[in-house]
Amino acid sequence: MVTVLLVIFGFLAGLLGALTGIGGGVLLTPILALHFGVPIRQAIGTSLVAVITTSAASSSVHLQRHTTDIRLGMTLELATSLGAAVMAYLVGYFNRSVLEGLFVAFLLYSSFTLLRSGGKLRSDKHAAAMTKENGHIPPYEPQRYPLGLSASLVAGALSGLLGIGGGPIKVPVMFIFMNVPLMVATATSNFMIGVTAAASAIVYYRRGDIQPGIAAPLAVGVFLGSLLGARLAPRVHTKIVVYLLVAVMLYLAAHLGVHLLGEVL
Amino acid sequence: MNQMREPAFDRIVGLVLQVGAFGCFFIMLAGLIDGLFMNGHIPLDIERAGVLLMLATPVVRVAVACFLFFREKDYKYGYVSLGVLVILLLGSVFGIGEH
Repeated sequence: MVTVLLVIFGFLAGLLGALTGIGGGVLLTPILALHFGVPIRQAIGTSLVAVITTSAASSSVHLQRHTTDIRLGMTLELATSLGAAVMAYLVGYFNRSVLEGLFVAFLLYSSFTLLRSGGKLRSDKHAAAMTKENGHIPPYEPQRYPLGLSASLVAGALSGLLGIGGGPIKVPVMFIFMNVPLMVATATSNFMIGVTAAASAIVYYRRGDIQPGIAAPLAVGVFLGSLLGARLAPRVHTKIVVYLLVAVMLYLAAHLGVHLLGEVL
Repeated sequence: MNQMREPAFDRIVGLVLQVGAFGCFFIMLAGLIDGLFMNGHIPLDIERAGVLLMLATPVVRVAVACFLFFREKDYKYGYVSLGVLVILLLGSVFGIGEH
């Protein structure tokens, strides 16, 4: 029964993640912790497995379209995987309440960022770039590698800390600071997520923080949900879906916050 | 231009990811179906195999890209890939932390 529920929740998180382009990782950890009684550290590790599965599947599609910059991705992966592995190691020394508190903060931050942009996922600059690119990749040369690598280190650390893919950090860094076309930035970010998540997931697995009995049904659900979401995305009104995502994130933040207070007091 | 796009390179790396993702999906699905209808101890092993294959897929992807870069005599990116591979493997050797 729990298995079936895990598949269903994974499916919904994957669907919502793919429809908004934010990825389902942010929803998986709190859902596992709150509704399945999984200790937060195991919830993070388990969520990472689902993130790798989704990244591998969607990245293979981007590679077939030749929009991924493998060289750029590989270079930034030096930083993301280092940040992710070191953070995953450190997480072993964090106590449960600290992790839950960080997660509440992250959920609130993401919600408010989305609300402030009025439910639009991409800025006007993003939208203009999409129109200009129109399926063609303009010639480019990635710039400001030191900045890109530093930001990637932070993105990797966040991924290892929270069990998320970190696409919403990597895409703007490549697009705005490194001067990479948006289409390439999106594909390359997706490409990097699998390796970044694996760098920390391996550490979590070795520590015993990934339970295959939970990870497998969840990954199956997320995989199916994101496949469907990717197909539906062009036909769905994004703004409504983004507000739905914000509502779910605020609910999870509140629930996790109450849970946290119960622990601390 | 940095991104000299080699279709064959993309195809091979993409294939590794595709095989990994779909392979895991079906292994995990088999584990689920088995677990739901048979309730034995075997499914957990199947699911564990699926999780391990998933963890290994990005590592294999980096190793394959590393090999391809060296074969093209693109040493700079060959070493970059090797660096990523080392970080991934170090995690599996030292990454224990407190339990």
